[in-house]
Amino acid sequence: MDTLQHLMTGLAAAMSLQNLAFALIGCTLGTLIGVLPGLGPAAGTAILIPLTFKLDPTGALIMLSAIYYGAMYGGTITSVLINVPGEAASVVTCFDGHAMAKQGRGGTALGIAAIGSFIGGIFATLALIVVAPPLARFALSFGPPEFFALMLVGLCLVTGLAGQSLLAGLTMAVLGLLIAMVGIDPVRGAPRFTFGIPSLYDGVGFIPVVMGLFGVSEILLTVEKPYREVIKTNLASLLPSREEWRRSVGAIGRGTGIGFLLGLIPGVGAIIPTFIAYILEKRLSKTPERFGHGAIEGVAAPETANNAYANASMIPLLTLGIPSSPTIAVLMGAFIVNGLTPGPFLFKERPDLVWAVIASFLLGNVLLLIINLPLVGLWARLLRLPYQYVCVGTLLFCVIGAYSLQQNVFDIGVMIVCGVIGYGMRKIEMPIAPLVLGLILGPFLEKSLRTSLEMSGGDFTIFLTRPLCLGLLVVAGIVLIGSALRWAPAEVREASD
Amino acid sequence: MRRGWLVACLILLGVFGTALFVSLDYSLSDSLGPGAGFFPFWLSVIGGALTVAIMVQVSRSPAPAGADLVSGSDRAAVMRSIALLVALGITAAALEPLGYRLTMLLFVPGVLLLLGVRSPIPVALCALAGSFGVFHVFYHWLKVPLPIGMLGI
Repeated sequence: MDTLQHLMTGLAAAMSLQNLAFALIGCTLGTLIGVLPGLGPAAGTAILIPLTFKLDPTGALIMLSAIYYGAMYGGTITSVLINVPGEAASVVTCFDGHAMAKQGRGGTALGIAAIGSFIGGIFATLALIVVAPPLARFALSFGPPEFFALMLVGLCLVTGLAGQSLLAGLTMAVLGLLIAMVGIDPVRGAPRFTFGIPSLYDGVGFIPVVMGLFGVSEILLTVEKPYREVIKTNLASLLPSREEWRRSVGAIGRGTGIGFLLGLIPGVGAIIPTFIAYILEKRLSKTPERFGHGAIEGVAAPETANNAYANASMIPLLTLGIPSSPTIAVLMGAFIVNGLTPGPFLFKERPDLVWAVIASFLLGNVLLLIINLPLVGLWARLLRLPYQYVCVGTLLFCVIGAYSLQQNVFDIGVMIVCGVIGYGMRKIEMPIAPLVLGLILGPFLEKSLRTSLEMSGGDFTIFLTRPLCLGLLVVAGIVLIGSALRWAPAEVREASD
Repeated sequence: MRRGWLVACLILLGVFGTALFVSLDYSLSDSLGPGAGFFPFWLSVIGGALTVAIMVQVSRSPAPAGADLVSGSDRAAVMRSIALLVALGITAAALEPLGYRLTMLLFVPGVLLLLGVRSPIPVALCALAGSFGVFHVFYHWLKVPLPIGMLGI
């Protein structure tokens, strides 16, 4: 009853003209980011944070969340029309989506993707509404040792599951944690690793770092990419035929379930649910040979799973304060910029904000459907925009974003350095996600560890004597050992690639 | 790619080594428990050990034939990337003295020309939109403070 009341209050706030406008702008910008070449959801969300600096926190978070799931859908358009996934989760959509476009069924592919995304997003948000409050209430009973262990599990999951190399992932996570140590010590108040530079007293800014790692590095990579051809396809007919509907209904249902369940686990990444949904459909099909040659289930299932995952992955963030992916970490950074710390206390202290944001997911999914189906021709035309203009626009937003948070040119320098680092990391395929997560979780992880040890008088067995904490540490250990066994041969292969 | 990994490992070793050295200046523990240097010290040790493990793994794997060669087109792309970074650096240095509008009036056409756009009208329109247009939107509508230079622009 309490949940329903909060949801109604949240819906009322989200449906205010101002917040509806923010959601609409966010969905439009997000789709634009997904469509434009060379910009993924993480980079896009990061570079658009400055747009929200002076908004009230609720409006800012509604807009940034809308940018996130808008970008997740925008990637589909590039997958279908130019066979280039706008973001990693749309890789699977290329298999059958592009084949459909080549057969002149591009409109139907985009239509079923939009409808599947809508259904997946709505169901995942409804499940979020049911799951999140009890999970947040449960997390309120956590002490510092449990939070430390929980964050460790999150980091291990992201490091172990998301990357190609466990060792590299762990190293990047440690580097991220170490960068987070720069600035004033949160417990004693003494400066650390500041080297006498006043700009470092507040630490290394998260926004300039992610803008560099994702935005600038993506531009540097885009400069190297060759020209891509946009194929001509029929975009007039968006709605599937009766037979195509029959084939898609089951795929959409299963995609929703897979996307939602995997969205609850930090570190899985959007690409895994989409692959599982695709493979499941192929296995269940009586005519698996159609897959890869324009099977509509091959678009419906992964696209639904993708959007269900995107909405469900907000659950670990909102209830436990654990970001599941780099884009969610960027969103967590946006929460922090607005003076809010995601986690169970946010449900308790700012229920108005949390429920307005959750309610906006429902409205956002409706808006996404409304702007995507009729405007699909416009998005297709935007694909022809020369990359040079996209590069300039992105760099402009990066400079503004890095500078304007603290009005400090030093942060632009941090962004440029991180851009070079991100470019190098991508060139050798070193994982960036663990570094970003380490950077954002670092202060919380250190504070939890030190508070725990202060509670026990420096005795580390405090982590082993509390059953929940011990259980979480065992999970972290299992994840790492499992990942080590899984990735060990790949590391050698990758190094010699 | 193998050489890239080895170079990255050497840089990481430098970072973790420096952090380890600097963290020794902070107390590892005090009367309340772990000190300011506790977390960075152990992170540096763990990071260093992990980096050494990667180096061993990478150096023991066979190098593929023809690896690490940079082709002519790659070189041109690398030069464009370096020029972009230099342009960004100059922009950062000029932003406060010249102000946002004047800096971007130079930066936008500069980058477009660097990336091969030669048509003067689109370049001029982008320069105006990226400098005065964007300034107006952020400064006046979104209330995001952008620098005004010594010329008052």
